[in-house]
Amino acid sequence: MQAAKQRSWNRRLEAKQKRIEKMKGITSNRIIPTHQIVEALETLIMPGDRVVLEGNNQKQASFLSAALAQADPKKLFNLHMIMSSISRPEHLDLFENGIADKVDFSYAGPQSLRMAQMLEDGKLAMGEIHTYVELYGRLFIDLIPSVALVAADKADSAGNLYTGPNTEETPTLVEAAGFSSGIVIAQVNELVDELPRVDIPGSWIDFVVVADQPYQLEPLFTRDPRHITDIQILQAMMVIRGIYGKHGVKSLNHGIGYNTAAIELLLPTYGESLGLKGKICKHWALNPHPTLIPAIESGWVESVHCFGGEVGMEKYVAARRDIFFTGHDGSLRSNRTLCQLAGQYAVDLFVGSSLQIDEAGNSSTVTRGRLAGFGGAPNMGHDPGGRRHSSQAWLDMMTDTNPLARGRKLVVQVVETFQNGNKPVFVESLDAVGAKKDIGLETAPVMIYGNDVTHIVTEEGIAYLYKTDSMEERRQAIAAIAGVTPIGLKHDVKKTEKLRREGLIALPEDLEIRRTDAKRSLLAAKNVEELVEWSEGLYEPPAKFRSW
Amino acid sequence: MKLAFLFPGQGSQKVSMLHSLPDHSAVGEVLQEASDVIGENIYNLDTAEALTSTVSVQLSLLIASVAVSKAFEAEGVRPDFVAGHSVGAFGAAVTCGAMDFADALKIVKLRGVLMEQAFPSGYGMGVISGLDAKSVCDMVEAIFSEENPVYSSNINAADQITISGSIPGINKVLDQASQGGARTAELLNVSVPSHCPLLNSVGDSLYDKLAHINIRSPVVLYASNRKARLIRNSEQIREDLAFNVSHPVRWYEISSLLCEYGTRLLIEMPSGNVLTNLNKKTLPGARSVSVDENGFENCFFLAKRFCS
Repeated sequence: MQAAKQRSWNRRLEAKQKRIEKMKGITSNRIIPTHQIVEALETLIMPGDRVVLEGNNQKQASFLSAALAQADPKKLFNLHMIMSSISRPEHLDLFENGIADKVDFSYAGPQSLRMAQMLEDGKLAMGEIHTYVELYGRLFIDLIPSVALVAADKADSAGNLYTGPNTEETPTLVEAAGFSSGIVIAQVNELVDELPRVDIPGSWIDFVVVADQPYQLEPLFTRDPRHITDIQILQAMMVIRGIYGKHGVKSLNHGIGYNTAAIELLLPTYGESLGLKGKICKHWALNPHPTLIPAIESGWVESVHCFGGEVGMEKYVAARRDIFFTGHDGSLRSNRTLCQLAGQYAVDLFVGSSLQIDEAGNSSTVTRGRLAGFGGAPNMGHDPGGRRHSSQAWLDMMTDTNPLARGRKLVVQVVETFQNGNKPVFVESLDAVGAKKDIGLETAPVMIYGNDVTHIVTEEGIAYLYKTDSMEERRQAIAAIAGVTPIGLKHDVKKTEKLRREGLIALPEDLEIRRTDAKRSLLAAKNVEELVEWSEGLYEPPAKFRSW
Repeated sequence: MKLAFLFPGQGSQKVSMLHSLPDHSAVGEVLQEASDVIGENIYNLDTAEALTSTVSVQLSLLIASVAVSKAFEAEGVRPDFVAGHSVGAFGAAVTCGAMDFADALKIVKLRGVLMEQAFPSGYGMGVISGLDAKSVCDMVEAIFSEENPVYSSNINAADQITISGSIPGINKVLDQASQGGARTAELLNVSVPSHCPLLNSVGDSLYDKLAHINIRSPVVLYASNRKARLIRNSEQIREDLAFNVSHPVRWYEISSLLCEYGTRLLIEMPSGNVLTNLNKKTLPGARSVSVDENGFENCFFLAKRFCS
């Protein structure tokens, strides 16, 4: 049978070829001259295009975003931007200048106030707020990009890219556009004859441009041990003994707070004294945190897979190839998408922190009047229903004898009962509920849902929520460790003994932890200098963390 | 790296503030122009006695801040953003090119006179530290009465909120705030309940006057006090200059927004360092300095280094 009408099945490809044809006036090969980048973007991008712009919380395609913001809004308009992180001023200038009008994103922390204002002022139309994995997933389903703007360290003349330690999300964005007849443009810090290794093959890349300055890179995961407090050390002791040790947690992810930095720095000291080495914390989905150096050097850690790199950790990682994923050149290979998936499915435990927790254990980092999004925490901070492999810690979460019973991921929230400025963390109602109304969201922006949380740790003790078998019991366990917050004040202290007996909560003394022992002297490194010493001089902290 | 100039409002004045400005020809020219426009010797404005009048306070702040911003300009340092707190908005408007200095002097003088006349006694402002805006708003709404009106007004930092209204109403809120967990709650030494609806008529009169003033689209973005937006629209600037007197100054949002726009150095014009101290707490990622505390030369050096 002949089709009634001839149709082309290569329209996307034909459109791409037409655009590339028009580039002849600018370049005869795949290298765009630096000073002609705005003109090139105006040629390669069309109004209404879906443009994915690389910008996560560390690495930014800053040269390309700045160039796009300089485009003529008469030539480029109605762009639909897809960005995992809205971090730089020009990301929102795109909307202010009338170049883009719609955005799908996952995190906007560094632009959260302006983002909320522009929504309120009708200056941008919001698609959806995602977690990282969701947004990456949609790039292959219903947000397939027409153009990808990405950043790499080096390229050769064939367009092969070296992304080095900061590979992050580049391969994912390139794949989504490159294999759907989209156009891929990479900014690089330099053009070289020979790459240290090929992270992305040149056949996936259409154009390369040498940036006038290296891409923006933030040392986001460096925590100076100097700022760790005694309370954080007490909480870290409780986590190590009352959670990691109790359940035998071997694989895990940590957030970027000082409380998790404290845990990392107590493994070689307090953890060692409990005889837990080799029994916990062996496999990590984690960026190369400098505060993990003492645990690595003491032989606690077997493997670390990274979302991204960390400024200053390059030489240390290259010298510890048994621990980190590295290329044949020796430098780290990170991959945000794969590490997020690993953190979702393959680790036993996630630890995070929060600004607010309600009486049912739902938590949120929303501040009224700002729109920060989610990032990756919800990917790792939930029990993935698709998990089928078992482990000691996962099985330890089973609480009934149902023949179909299965284990659970450990999702731990570590918070102090009050934030800075006297704001209670445990509250009657999350600000996320108000934000839903203010911003007009379909659902309240909850970071971690209460029914996913297995443990909450405060300076008062641990609530073992996975053991509770009713909402009432869950509320009681949370209230019992909520201090003098509005939720804690509702707690009837007479019930404390019963909760302790039943193992629904544990106070430090129940874990044989003396509050007076929780001192900074327990930290394996008390400052950045000592981290450098542990690393045998391989860790090279950025200037802002050097005080010597 | 972007640079912002900040222009302080009332509370930042100091005796002899106009006598102790940096020695620069641009400063001298501004002081001379001010004397010519106002028709009196401006060196009489900053005595202890003169500064008991809000008219002298507001004029002194405008003159001092514009004088120093002109000195920076003469040395080739121009800000990317300007933000003023309350009457500071006029210095900001002059510096970003939206308004002539002579016009600003006339309007600010009128603003002072109208404010002084509006509430001769029994009204004022208080400041609460250690509670957030919502907690203070809730308290204020519960205590407000027609007889003793009180409003929450400026949001200076996440946990520093001012209230404005009748003295009995203010005292009730301060008492309750103290009991409700505030770090400090105290009456301010001002006699005008600024930045609340009690000054609506002052705002209206200023708008009538400003309607006849030439306001231009600025060369750099101007931070609107009322809306906490960075704006370029001359009509919106006109409205902000008129009505900020009767609306809360959303300084906390303004300073956060400056940072989101890429500001990494904030220089506060004379006098004082009130805004700098607020910013140091709110904006740990940026450098905040004041000409009064750090000196003109040092601020100039930082600006050259940060923003070249």
